[in-house]
Amino acid sequence: MKKTLPLIAVILAFSACLKLDSQLFNNKKISEYKFDAYTGQQDFILDATYTIPPQYITLLTLSSQIPGVESQSTNIKAVYIGDITKIATDTVILYCHGNKWNMDFYWQRAKLLANVNGKNTYGVMMMDYRGFGLSDGKPSEDGMYADVDACMQWLKSKGLTNNRLIIYGFSLGSAPATKLTAEPRSLIPSKLILEAPFASSAIMVQDGTQLNMPADYFTDLKINNADLIKKVNQPFYWMHGLNDNFLNYKTHGQAIYDNYSGIYKTKYLISGADHGEIPFKMGFVLYLNALGNFIRK
Amino acid sequence: MKQSYKVNLFLYFSVYLLIFSCSPTRFVKPIEKQQQAVGFSFGGPLINFSNTYIPIPLSSLSYAYGLTDKITTYAGLHTTSLLFGNLQTDIGALFLLYSKDRNKFGITANLALQQVYNIRNRIGFRVWPSTDINVYYHIKEKPHYIYAGLNSWFEFSKYRANQEIQPINILPNMHLGFVWNRAKFIHQVELKYLGIGIPNQPNVVTYLGISGHGALGVYYNVSFKF
Repeated sequence: MKKTLPLIAVILAFSACLKLDSQLFNNKKISEYKFDAYTGQQDFILDATYTIPPQYITLLTLSSQIPGVESQSTNIKAVYIGDITKIATDTVILYCHGNKWNMDFYWQRAKLLANVNGKNTYGVMMMDYRGFGLSDGKPSEDGMYADVDACMQWLKSKGLTNNRLIIYGFSLGSAPATKLTAEPRSLIPSKLILEAPFASSAIMVQDGTQLNMPADYFTDLKINNADLIKKVNQPFYWMHGLNDNFLNYKTHGQAIYDNYSGIYKTKYLISGADHGEIPFKMGFVLYLNALGNFIRK
Repeated sequence: MKQSYKVNLFLYFSVYLLIFSCSPTRFVKPIEKQQQAVGFSFGGPLINFSNTYIPIPLSSLSYAYGLTDKITTYAGLHTTSLLFGNLQTDIGALFLLYSKDRNKFGITANLALQQVYNIRNRIGFRVWPSTDINVYYHIKEKPHYIYAGLNSWFEFSKYRANQEIQPINILPNMHLGFVWNRAKFIHQVELKYLGIGIPNQPNVVTYLGISGHGALGVYYNVSFKF
């Protein structure tokens, strides 16, 4: 027994050494952003009619700091699509991308959003969360929220007001989009758009196991969009592919949609669309019209 | 396309399914009265990783004691789970229900409890009962035998996270295996079909199943008798 107890103590001491939180962030570092010149894997590639004039593409370096946690700020990269001098009067879509790689992969999506209600009618801002692309630091849940808020701070400094900010979250990006709408920081988004969102870390776990298993078993992530959405009062638009084989539209998106009790909600369920296929399967024109109508409403 | 989003998530979430699939059948045939055995098992469900199906390398340790010639009690510690901060254990007993031809053929049943407690966060204690029934058959007069069986885990929760209704209360699995019985060591290879009839998509992991249902897994166990 004298030998057994120390052995048990050692096992328990080392038992908490592995966490899987970082695996949620499928980030990829690069040496430069290529945007239109990017030739790697993409969900879709837009034709020339959606091209953005170079003077309307601005790569930015922003300082991001997790409040109450970090003593120093982290430099992150963001891109603004539109006329920066008109932010004080324009409507801006703040796009929070998914878990994969970096802004090059999502460039076509951001560009597409810059064509809602006509080319460059609205500004579009997209950022690489810390650890993604050329953003410094390591990915983390709190860091992701701080990074999106850093964009809001910058937009606010350029004159953007709450009523002209639309926040859009795709997949993993649904977490910061929902969080910062439910619990606003620098700006209060006026509308929330979620594309193929996930309900919570726990539902991800339970979809995988079929068991009622706490998410805490393997992660410290507290993401719970299905719960946070209860605090959202702003108009809400949910899009999800009916063939989403990554995030089940019933257990994830529908749970968020059902829990929303704000002033207005609408949904678009796209037949045949898998995760990442919504704009493509929906058709770019229909996709843009649907978003345009929601934003104008 | 979805695979590209899953590249890292495969590890993150595949571990979870393995909570109910992280070891082969502990014992199929009772050991002798007052005999003891310690074992190490390794293996798991097959998942798609970079277009190749690989088993998740899950491991566990076990100890068994022959209460009688017909009842073996055992306990297991799931070592991979422990690395993630979870104290996952199982305790159970194997009962010989029927045998003939000097034990050449027999039917056995396991009753077990699976417990998980999160040490890192000190929350999330859960217990799942499980049971299985097995048939074994010795090949000729050799001590080696083949076996097959059905296993079920039971989930009694009515609701799961975000107040969603718990969709399934019984998780059925089946297995087929071979035991190579040596004087001191027992080697066991098992093929499992996990989650019979349960669609394996949509999911954050791509399992190798049958017609889009369940997941196939392969396992190896070695036990030392003393």
